[in-house]
Amino acid sequence: MSKLNYKICIIIPAYNESTVISEVIKTITKELKKTNYFFRIVVVNDSSKDNTSEIAQKNGAIVINHILNAGAGSATATGLSYAQKHNFDIAATMDADGQHLPKNVVEGINEIIKRNDDLLIGSRMINSKGMSKTKVIGNKGLSFITYILFGINSTDSQSGLRIFSKRALENLRWETSGYEFCSEMLWRAKQQKLKISEYPIKAVYTKYSKSKGQNNWNAVNIISSLLKRRLLEILK
Amino acid sequence: MSRYTLLFILNIPFIIISLIKLVTEYKLNKVSNRYFIVKVMFWITIMLGLMFIEPIYIWLYNQKLTISEPLSLFDVVQITAIVIVLYISDRTRSKLETTDRKLRDLHQELSIILSNKKQN
Repeated sequence: MSKLNYKICIIIPAYNESTVISEVIKTITKELKKTNYFFRIVVVNDSSKDNTSEIAQKNGAIVINHILNAGAGSATATGLSYAQKHNFDIAATMDADGQHLPKNVVEGINEIIKRNDDLLIGSRMINSKGMSKTKVIGNKGLSFITYILFGINSTDSQSGLRIFSKRALENLRWETSGYEFCSEMLWRAKQQKLKISEYPIKAVYTKYSKSKGQNNWNAVNIISSLLKRRLLEILK
Repeated sequence: MSRYTLLFILNIPFIIISLIKLVTEYKLNKVSNRYFIVKVMFWITIMLGLMFIEPIYIWLYNQKLTISEPLSLFDVVQITAIVIVLYISDRTRSKLETTDRKLRDLHQELSIILSNKKQN
């Protein structure tokens, strides 16, 4: 398949991101226009209280508005469901706070086609330069928990930059709706026997993205939710 | 009638109802093999516990693992209540899970349909 024949869907789950969403859409659009891919940008507005939806629409993105604030996991699931229903070949999720470089997104798309993988994770931990120590500890801790609970060896189980093949779009489903979906998604991908791999990315930490990112205390909620999910799975 | 027999008679309907519902769900392919086996084992353990509660109690008493008085009527009511609560909480949890999943899927579908309509 030539590059022109690939339909790419960029999914940006967003909640109250009116200050940066315009820049995020503009830069990723600019980067993708340099390629020969057919692409669409989909912003899943998770019932924001600000005008994220209007700004995203003005900048040419397709906007899916959640009626209720359902969490990052649900917003991502909605975006992937949209990509599957509209017959996209590849979908990429990226954060709306501007921490992901557009060139890393394009690299990931090229890489998943080259490697023929199903789920490619952009790992910030392969080269964690610039990341605060607390974030490094938090991410490493959650990756370790993911390994203990689900047996998945990932250097960055919480990364928001992920690339999905058509097979992954058709088969991947998860139950959790908060940030814990990052680990659960890997587990479900393993259960579905999807090919998972990683590639290094560079995360940009601005004052804004630092304020929007996950708090290390949120790890407690994530771990308890993952533990519950793992125990309930025994009964299923 | 012995209080041990009374305890058994009061509780056995809940266990039988749970087992019948489980078998029905299994036969209708609504639950996996693993779920079915774990749940059957759970309710059978409770049933065996109730059936042999007298020898179990005597054994515990002889081993000095309990110093309580012999089973009172209040104990019978209390244990029955625990079994009922177990039954209700189990049904509620599984119903909540199903409702939660349905609501999430509905929300997702509705959001996509509404955005498609808006675009057209």
